[in-house]
Amino acid sequence: MSETEMTPNKHLDEMTLLLYVERQLDRERAQEVSLHTQTCTRCMTLLRALDRESRLLTRAMLEQDEPFPARLTEFRMAVKRSMQWIWGLVFGLAVLGVYALYAGYIEPWEKQLDQAGFGSTNLLSLLVFQGAFWKGWQSMFTLFEVLALAVLAGSAAYAFRKYIRRGSALAMVFASLGLLLATMPAASASEFRKGESVSVGKGENIIGDVFITGDHVRVDGTVDGDVFAFGHQLDVAGHVTGDVFCFAQSTRISGRVDGNIRAFTNNITISGDIGRNVLSMNEVLNLDPNGKIGHSLTVFGQTVTLDGKIGRDVVAFFDQITLSGFIGGSLQSKGKSLTISPTAEIDGKTELEGPKPATVSPEAKLASPLQFTKHQPHSDRDRGVGYYIWRLIWTAAFVLLGLVIYGLFPRFAVDTVEAGEHYGAAFGLGVLVTFGLPIAAIIACVTIVGLLLGLSTLFLYVIVFLCTEIVVGTIVGQWLLGRTSDYWPLVARMALGVLLVRIVTSIPFIGFWAILAVVLWGMGAISLAVYRRLQPVVAPNIPSVPAGPVGSPLPPNTTVGGM
Amino acid sequence: MSAPGKTEPTDLVVRARTGDAEAWGDLYREFAPAIFRFCRRAMPTHEDAEDATMEIFMKLRDKLSQFDHTRSFSAWLYKVAANHCWDMLRRRKGRQNKETEDVDDIPLEHPDPNQLERLIEERSNEEVRKALGKLGVRARMALVMRYYSDMSYDEIADALGVRRAFVGVVLLRARHELRQVLGENSALAVGGTR
Repeated sequence: MSETEMTPNKHLDEMTLLLYVERQLDRERAQEVSLHTQTCTRCMTLLRALDRESRLLTRAMLEQDEPFPARLTEFRMAVKRSMQWIWGLVFGLAVLGVYALYAGYIEPWEKQLDQAGFGSTNLLSLLVFQGAFWKGWQSMFTLFEVLALAVLAGSAAYAFRKYIRRGSALAMVFASLGLLLATMPAASASEFRKGESVSVGKGENIIGDVFITGDHVRVDGTVDGDVFAFGHQLDVAGHVTGDVFCFAQSTRISGRVDGNIRAFTNNITISGDIGRNVLSMNEVLNLDPNGKIGHSLTVFGQTVTLDGKIGRDVVAFFDQITLSGFIGGSLQSKGKSLTISPTAEIDGKTELEGPKPATVSPEAKLASPLQFTKHQPHSDRDRGVGYYIWRLIWTAAFVLLGLVIYGLFPRFAVDTVEAGEHYGAAFGLGVLVTFGLPIAAIIACVTIVGLLLGLSTLFLYVIVFLCTEIVVGTIVGQWLLGRTSDYWPLVARMALGVLLVRIVTSIPFIGFWAILAVVLWGMGAISLAVYRRLQPVVAPNIPSVPAGPVGSPLPPNTTVGGM
Repeated sequence: MSAPGKTEPTDLVVRARTGDAEAWGDLYREFAPAIFRFCRRAMPTHEDAEDATMEIFMKLRDKLSQFDHTRSFSAWLYKVAANHCWDMLRRRKGRQNKETEDVDDIPLEHPDPNQLERLIEERSNEEVRKALGKLGVRARMALVMRYYSDMSYDEIADALGVRRAFVGVVLLRARHELRQVLGENSALAVGGTR
């Protein structure tokens, strides 16, 4: 600190005067300054200026120039972000997990579908994106790309989380997303038809896709595009050059479809000519003797009867299947009962995985002997070591998921855990959401406009469903180890809680009820947290003008010319 | 630092320490606006200030059991706030440059008292706040600690990690920096003599 010697002919330096104003000089030095300023106008002026400057600073800082942010009106716990290096590790593990998931499950499944004649499509695009609104999806997205984009979006959201909080930035993100979707090559949804009984009349020719909703839907004419049909009963007796997507109680295809059929129905009967593949999820599927599928059939059903002709492979998951027709490729099947009639012919391999061997007529023409793999459905009593190893692996996966979610959405995660501690509200809302949301989403799917919304909701529902154990686990962990707001202690509680929850849910007989409780509780907690987030927050009980930091508006030590 | 003119929330603190959520809520509501304003002055952006306020209270909740209730609660609170803000600022990139600017040994120009008086007279509170935002982090932090929360030189030295004797220099340099920013758009030139 530079403090000048004071002589009658020399002015005091600014530092000395500031320290004097701030009452930081010892008594002797302060008296000298006081004496000097009484005789030196220049130093006195500077002293006063410094004092006024102090007051100006205090006044400017204490003045209330903006309202207290509504976001802060309620105290919210947040998770500290530290040890950034862990994100590298988490990212690495996540990539490894994605690869393992892909290599272990998705790729074999894709191969199966590929063998079944689905070419370069993948399951996700097959079920969700294929042609529904954007034709470009199928070629643009592989499952890996979707996952990579999701990771990228999550990382971007994390990196720009500060800006996302701003409404304008959020609006920009949504606008960009909207623009992106708008600029995608949209399908030419040329026709929308709705009514109790809707039909495309015989001799009628529609160019472009047609969306039809009604109790009875009938296509007798020609559609040069795709048909999206939602209704109680659907009959396609005409000619569709594209694909048919049907969500109906009962479907009958007696006409000609050049493309694929994606059917989500209670029962479907195919007696017409299908140019390419059929993907069918339903209770009953009948392929009549006149029915013909050019490529492959993938069916998830209860009762399946195949009397017609299938050009390529069949992949079937069923309770009961009867085969009397022709299969140009192989049959890969998994189910309780397979009957192969004398008229049946299979040119490829025939495989069955199930509890009992197939009933095969000696007259049936099989290119190779049927390969049977005995498979008993797991019950609570026959759990082996593998079961517990897999439980352990899944527990680790849940903990990893929790780690990532807590890192990405720390405040929301803590809010959710807090919401879960309102047991009554969480359970009540959980019951409502767990059962109500899928119903609402399915209803949305049935209406044309809500298809995308419905599918997105179902997708979100599954994600939330997976997170329920993490939420409940954290609450249980906090019961045992106490509350905390620090990241790693919170993760530790979550890990312990998830472990305990999974142990309880593994107990035979009790497990089911425990899982139900966990799902309802967790679902309710997440819903409650979302609900609270969406509520506009006003600032109650906040003093409009705080009394300053600690009292008087001016620094109490500030003075002029005296001690 | 004491808390003149403000009743110490002793009862609230005691209750909050025992886990009384209502007491904690009251404590938060009482002090959060002032702490937010402190952070708003110290931190570069509104969002930073919001984040800092939230994090300070989280820290506070964890540390409440360590609070010595024979001391001033508000003083302790501002100390926690100052330490937190300074930690946040120090972690930011570019800190090093600002810091070296702050602590170098370039001699300061001696101000012309009359010009300084005129400058202070002509500047509004809002202009001062805007100018504060343009200062280096150490300068801004020092001024906020001293003139907003009335922290002592010892407390400022402790928070900034400098010797107590150096606090005056930091404050004086901060004032010079502020005058320079305030005078930039003005015909008034502060300083000039040595």
